[in-house]
Amino acid sequence: MKAVARLVWSYFMGSLVTRVCTFGGLVLIAVAFYVLMTQPQSGEMLWLASIGMIVFFAGSSLMPMMFGRLGGSHSIGVLPGGRLKLLLSAFVTVVIVAIPAALVTPAGYVAGNAGSFADLAKNPQYLEFTLQLAKLMFTSAVLFAGWLYLAMWFISRQRDVAGFSKGLLVMAIVIFTPARDISDLTVSLSWNLLQIAISWLVFGAGFLLWPRYKAVRARRGRDRSAAFALAPARGTAGREFDLMLGTANPWLLIAAFVVPLLIATRFAEGFLQIWLFFLTIFSTVSGAIAGEAAGRSRALWLRGNWTREDLFRQVERSFWRHNGIVLGSLILILFGIGSYAGLPVTMLAVGLPLLILGTVLSTYLGLMITRGLRWLEVLLGIGVMLTLMAVAVIAREREDLVTVFALLASLAVLALALRFTARRRWTRIDWMLCRPDRSLAVRAA
Amino acid sequence: MNSATVEASKLSKAFGSKQVLQDISFGVSPGDVIGVLGKNGAGKTTLLDLMLGFTPPTAGAIRVFGHESHSLPGNIKARVGFVPQQDELLDQLSAADQLRVIASFYPRWDSALISRLCGEWGVPLDVRIKSMSVGERQKLSILLAFGHQPELLILDEPVASLDPIARRQFLEQLLTISTDGQRAIVFSSHIVSDIERLANRIWILKEGRLDWQGDLDSLKESIVRLHIRGTGPELPAFQIPGVLNVRRDGAFATAVVRDWTPEAQEALEKGASVQVDVEALGLEEIFVELHR
Repeated sequence: MKAVARLVWSYFMGSLVTRVCTFGGLVLIAVAFYVLMTQPQSGEMLWLASIGMIVFFAGSSLMPMMFGRLGGSHSIGVLPGGRLKLLLSAFVTVVIVAIPAALVTPAGYVAGNAGSFADLAKNPQYLEFTLQLAKLMFTSAVLFAGWLYLAMWFISRQRDVAGFSKGLLVMAIVIFTPARDISDLTVSLSWNLLQIAISWLVFGAGFLLWPRYKAVRARRGRDRSAAFALAPARGTAGREFDLMLGTANPWLLIAAFVVPLLIATRFAEGFLQIWLFFLTIFSTVSGAIAGEAAGRSRALWLRGNWTREDLFRQVERSFWRHNGIVLGSLILILFGIGSYAGLPVTMLAVGLPLLILGTVLSTYLGLMITRGLRWLEVLLGIGVMLTLMAVAVIAREREDLVTVFALLASLAVLALALRFTARRRWTRIDWMLCRPDRSLAVRAA
Repeated sequence: MNSATVEASKLSKAFGSKQVLQDISFGVSPGDVIGVLGKNGAGKTTLLDLMLGFTPPTAGAIRVFGHESHSLPGNIKARVGFVPQQDELLDQLSAADQLRVIASFYPRWDSALISRLCGEWGVPLDVRIKSMSVGERQKLSILLAFGHQPELLILDEPVASLDPIARRQFLEQLLTISTDGQRAIVFSSHIVSDIERLANRIWILKEGRLDWQGDLDSLKESIVRLHIRGTGPELPAFQIPGVLNVRRDGAFATAVVRDWTPEAQEALEKGASVQVDVEALGLEEIFVELHR
C-alpha cells in the first residue's frame, strides 16, 4: 500500500502546477460547499464547485502521464508488484477525483430547494433521495474521470496515429454517453456500478496480462516488432521533406478518424451540435503534428540550401499539402454523414468555416511552438478550443447566427495573427531550444 | 536449494525471422562481476532483457534465483536491480520525488547510502528531472537501482553518458558493492577498459552466440599474439591450431591464436623448428581480434 499511496501523492503533488491545482481546487470546492450549506438560495454557487472540481481534476493530470511512462517502461517489470500497484493507484486517483462530486451534489440539491441540511434529518424520503443522488453522481464521476484518464493515457503513451485514434474513440464515449444517459434518463446506480466494474475489469485485466500475452506471442514466434522496425518505408522517394516533418501520409490520419467518427455518429442521434464539435476536434489534429515541426526542421535546415524564412515557407507548404487532403476528407464527412444524420442547413453552413478555421488555427498554433510548449500557447489552445466548441453548440439556433459569424470572424483574425507570429518566430528559430531532447532545451534556456 | 543467481540453458531468441540469440548457456553466481561485450546488434540488450524477464526466450530456459525469468514473483524482483540503456525517469517529478516513488515499491531501501551517493555524485535532489543534464539523469537511474541493495544487478550500458570522473565514481561504487561476494553484477559496455578494470568474468557475444565466457585471466591466457622467428631466411610452412589471423614477413611471422596452451607452443617450436614468443593482449585487442 505504501507504493500505491506514494504514487497517488505524486500524481497530485508531483509538480508545482499540480500542487497549485490540487490545493486551489480543494479550496474552491470547500468554499462552494460552505456557501451551499449555509447561505439560502445559493444554488447558483454550483458553478464555483464545478470550477473547483475541474481544477482539482487538473491537479491529478500527472496520473495518465506517469501511468503511461511507468506502465510502458522496462523498469515496471522489475518493480515488485509494479503493474498491480500502478493499476491500484490509478483507480484510487479516479475515486478521489470523483469524491467532490458526491459531496457537492447533495449540497447543491438542498440549497437549490431553499432548504438546509437540518431539513434532511426531518424528512427520511428527502434524505434517501439526496443520498441516492450523491451515489449516482459519485459513480457517474468515477466513470467519466476514468474514461478521460484513459483517453489521456492513450495519447500520452502512444504518440502516434494509433494512440490518437484510441484516444478519440474514448473521447467519443466520454462526450456522448453522459449526454445520452441524461437525455434518455437511463442512468441508474446499478447501471453505473456495472459499467465501472466491467470497464475496470477489462482495462485491469488487459494491463496486468499484457506481458503474459506478449510472452505467448513470442513463444509462438510472432514477435515481429524488431523485424517490422527494420522494414523500409514504402513509396516515400522524393518526399523526404514531408517524411521528416511527419506530413507524408495524411491517409493514415484519415484512417484513424474513421472508427471513432462512425461510433460518434451512432451515438450522436439528438446531439448534432456535439457531433459537429467532435468533428471539429479532428480538424485541429494537424496542430499536434505542427507542434513538432520546429524540432524536426533542424535536420532539414542542415541538408537544404534554405534560409530560415525559406524553411518556414517550405514547412507551411508541406503542411498545406497534408492538411488539404485531411480537410477535404473532413468536409466530405461533414456533408456526407451530416446530411445523412439530419444536420440542419445552418449547421452545415457553419460547419464548413469551422473545420477550415480549426485546421488553420491549430496548424499555426503548432508552428508557433519554437521554444517548447509555454503558457501563451496553452492558453491560446484552450481559448481556441472553447470558441470552436461554442460556435458548434450555438450554431443550431438561427437567431444566434450573428454571434456565430462574429465568433468565426474573430477566429479568422486570430488565424492571421497566429500565422504572422509563427513566421516571425521561425525567422529567429533557435534549434537548441526546440530540440526533441527537452532536457537539453531547458538547460539551454 | 539452488545457489545459482541466474541459469540459462540452450537459450535462443528470435524476432520474426531474425535470429538474435542462438543456443546460449551460462550461469551467474554470487560474487560474479560479468562484463558483456559485443558489437552493436550482437544481442547484448536482448540477453539482458531475457535475464530480466522483459521478453521470453523463443527456445531454451532461463531461471533467476530458481524462477522462470519471465514470471518472476515480487519477492524475487525485490532482489534484482536494473539500469536501462535509456533512462525511464518521470520528467515531471524532482529527483527526490522519483527516489521516493521507487523506494516505496521495496520492503527495504538504504536511504543513507542513496543520500551519501547523491551528495558524492552531485545529483541535485530538488531539481525537476526534466531540467537535469543527461549525465545527471544517468546517475539518478543508477542510484534507483542501488537503493534496495539488489543481489543481482543488471546494467545495460550504464556509463555511456557519464564524464570520466563520474564514471570512475560509479565504478568505485560498483566495486564496493561487489566486494562482499554476495551479489552478482552483469553489465554491458562498449568501454572495454571499464570492463577490464571491474569484471572478473567476461562474456563475448558474436553473431548471436556466446563466443567466449570465462574469467578474464583465462581469456588473456587463451587468446595471445605469437611472434614466430625462423632459423633460416624464410619461415618454413607450419600450421597453428586456433589461429585467428597471421601475418608473415620473411623469417618472421605474427599470429593471433585462441585456446593457446604451453603444449601447443612446444609442439609448434619442435614441429616447425621455430622460436615462439608469446605476447599477452589487452581486452580491447582481444575483442578486436575476435571480430576480425
